[in-house]
Amino acid sequence: MILTLSEREMEVARKVLQREPNEAEWRMLDVLWSEHCSYKSSKVFLRSLPSEGPNVVMSVEDWQDAGAVDIGDGLALVLKVESHNHPSAVDPFNGAATGVGGILRDIISKGAMPIALLDMIRVGELNEKGKWLLRNIIAGIGFYGNSVGVPVVGGELSFDSTYNDNPLVDVACVGIVDKGSIVPSVVKEPGLRLVLTGFTGLDGLGGASFASRKLSGNDEIGAVQIADPFAGKIVIDSTLEVIKYVDAIKDLGGGGLAVAVTEMANGLGAIVNLEKVPLRVKELLPEEIIISETQERMLFAVKPENVEKVCSKFKEFNYPCEDIGEITPDRRVKFLYNGKTVADLPSELLLSPPLNLMPSERAPRRYNVPKDVTIEEAINKVLSHPDLVSKEIVYSQYDYEVGTSTLVKPGEADSAVLELPNGRLLALKADANQDLCSEDPYECGKSIVAESFRNLSTVGARGIALVDHLQFGDPRKPHVYQDFIESLRGIAEASRFFSTPIVGGKVSFHNEDKDGNPIKPTPLVVMAGLIEDKVVRNEVREGTLVLLGNTRDETRGTLFSRIFGSWGEVPKARLMEDLLASKLILKGISEDKVLWDKDVSKGGLAGALLPIIVKGYSVKIFSSSIIGTSSLIGKMFSENGGRFLVITDDPQWFTYQSGRLGIQASIVGKVEKGSSLWIDNKEFKMDGIIDNYFSYLEKVVWS
Amino acid sequence: MDVLKALKLVKADAEIVLFNKFDPDHYQGVVLPGGFSFGDYLRAGSIAANSEAIKGVKEMANEGKLVLGICNGFQILVEAGILKGALLPNLNLRFVTKWVWLRVKRKDTPFTKESKDVLFMPIAHAEGRYFLDDEESASEIAVLQYADERGVPTSEANPNGSLMNIAGITNEGENVLGLMPHPERASFRSISPNGSSDGLHILKVFGG
Repeated sequence: MILTLSEREMEVARKVLQREPNEAEWRMLDVLWSEHCSYKSSKVFLRSLPSEGPNVVMSVEDWQDAGAVDIGDGLALVLKVESHNHPSAVDPFNGAATGVGGILRDIISKGAMPIALLDMIRVGELNEKGKWLLRNIIAGIGFYGNSVGVPVVGGELSFDSTYNDNPLVDVACVGIVDKGSIVPSVVKEPGLRLVLTGFTGLDGLGGASFASRKLSGNDEIGAVQIADPFAGKIVIDSTLEVIKYVDAIKDLGGGGLAVAVTEMANGLGAIVNLEKVPLRVKELLPEEIIISETQERMLFAVKPENVEKVCSKFKEFNYPCEDIGEITPDRRVKFLYNGKTVADLPSELLLSPPLNLMPSERAPRRYNVPKDVTIEEAINKVLSHPDLVSKEIVYSQYDYEVGTSTLVKPGEADSAVLELPNGRLLALKADANQDLCSEDPYECGKSIVAESFRNLSTVGARGIALVDHLQFGDPRKPHVYQDFIESLRGIAEASRFFSTPIVGGKVSFHNEDKDGNPIKPTPLVVMAGLIEDKVVRNEVREGTLVLLGNTRDETRGTLFSRIFGSWGEVPKARLMEDLLASKLILKGISEDKVLWDKDVSKGGLAGALLPIIVKGYSVKIFSSSIIGTSSLIGKMFSENGGRFLVITDDPQWFTYQSGRLGIQASIVGKVEKGSSLWIDNKEFKMDGIIDNYFSYLEKVVWS
Repeated sequence: MDVLKALKLVKADAEIVLFNKFDPDHYQGVVLPGGFSFGDYLRAGSIAANSEAIKGVKEMANEGKLVLGICNGFQILVEAGILKGALLPNLNLRFVTKWVWLRVKRKDTPFTKESKDVLFMPIAHAEGRYFLDDEESASEIAVLQYADERGVPTSEANPNGSLMNIAGITNEGENVLGLMPHPERASFRSISPNGSSDGLHILKVFGG
């Protein structure tokens, strides 16, 4: 029995119980007190995230549930992000696929119909292992998402050697539900029956504890769950049909029955008769049934008279569904097997692990000596970096058209746009930035929220809510813990500034390589917004290039610095500039002044020009018109925020309006037919970069 | 659901029928939509092709009623022997979503008789490479071919390695059409990349 509990935690358990827990009870405590399920090292700080707002329908008292925001006409949007990092490192196909299945069940457990998925993938070098990981992660996401018919409408793909051993596989899902019919995850009264649907198998034993420690390098395949999207589809459809007969729903994820029952009881008690649990394999031990994390299972709290109505729906599809126990008033969670007590623990103990506040200390800043990088070298290396190449080969493996509502499709713009059942348009975007976070996690936390806000603006949307996912190494390391606190502060600050409440989130610690080095801190946010007035169909055309915002010479913690080394200043998030520039973009879109636009982020201005060039256009830049720095490298590669690049036929409108709003904007260039980048009078041939843009991933990963 | 939404646009009187509740005598026509029937675990469409409901579809096909199979529905029609040939895994062995141009090769089927010559629709499949060991009869039954924007079936325009760029075929009676592209996803101007609604050219045959 591998337990991740510390000596101190075991002492607390013994003291409260005044006895030695048996093996099944230790295992329950192990999963419930795992970092994955209990947030014991992060909870104190998570409380500082702004989760309230006028449009928030359901916030996150319980951090494992999805939050919901009002989107008008009696509808609410349910939003959630999760990762499957550890399983994906061991079995990328099933790890990534079950990540999709798990998040879909989170959405339906609120009674909401899932309408879109986003996937964010970070892998290391593209050696044999890296390619194997990437191919299988993408195949796994497609396998599940395509089969159940939920479109994958956006995401991110980044390559950084920090993820060589520990890839990050994040998936976000949104769903739609009538505001009045959101189903809670917890019960308020005893007497309800506990109904379980789905078979329980041997897979995913101890998955939550597995995710709460560093990868051992040993055979850990048994901790990975196996994906079955056909069963997943039955669960989705049938669950949504029975929601009117249920009082609470919880999907079975990390920690299996132990966690689902305990959290659903929410301080009340529960009795579960384990012999009634439908099994996929015979002769599972009772304690294995308690902690198995087999997918495609849901737990319902149901009034006794409704049990038959709920189960008959599943049985129509020959899907197992059983009454396995009930919610009791006695505040104890009991698992029985043929009447014999297997585990009997107080709810209070299970739900309150001793919280940790770890020592924290900021890592000393590295001061590298600046290198001489020529503009030619910089353009060639940055613009051919795999982070900036076309991701078509990835998203074409996802069925992004299913649902007939994907208006702005993957690769078309900085955000995806979907048609909602009430006719409104929803924009979605996810952002993370491991380069900046490894230099300054606080600025990075602010910056990724600001970037999402800008990304939504580029299609005409204003951000309304977000979810976050905080991914770090071992929190017992003071530098890691400090990075966690700082990035969380940054995210909290920016989301309060933009009035985009955080309605859900997740923490994933223990992301380290096999030598015990933590990954670069990688907090990630997913923001949802609504189109304010008009949506832009981002089509590159000939026209004038206008740059909104101020360009600073800030190249530390950028893609440029990942390639050439980190020196100089860190891009700081000046949130007011992001807000004002976003306002101007929205106004430009509603007055039809924007032909094409993009926010300036990864790769700086040069990176923002690449999508224009690869569409068969030349770009001419007048470098002296770029406001804010005299350094050419800074002008082209700085990643400071608050900026948008726009193609327009009416540049004067932008220069005039920017002055009225209190920001800077200038005419920085022209777009013409061709395939070159001109900076002043110097021509940079782009043919090699264009070819690399279209062929890189296919050539390196899929051939 | 998507097909139903699109059929409403052409004013078809349509409803969704569950796999185990299908009565062929009750309907004038049937659409087998895409969608990973039974998870496609064995081979795309093969389990569904042996289901009770498909016997009903066969009856309808034999009676000359309209039968349209889209994507997985096409795979089912082929697996059930209602249409000839086979749908093999794409040459690159990957699932692919992509908007493609289609040449309408035959206009003597009820589905295509008033259609434009070139249609724009998305595909989304992993097993869509049409194959038949008799090229001559494949050419005869081919209704739709992957093509370039002008309607010329080039090898570059072939997304999955289909024999003769075949994207859709009919039966001898011409009342059954199977196609890999999704007309229902090309029925709404707002989500089409070029603002078209070419899928309606295929679906309007069901219109009231």
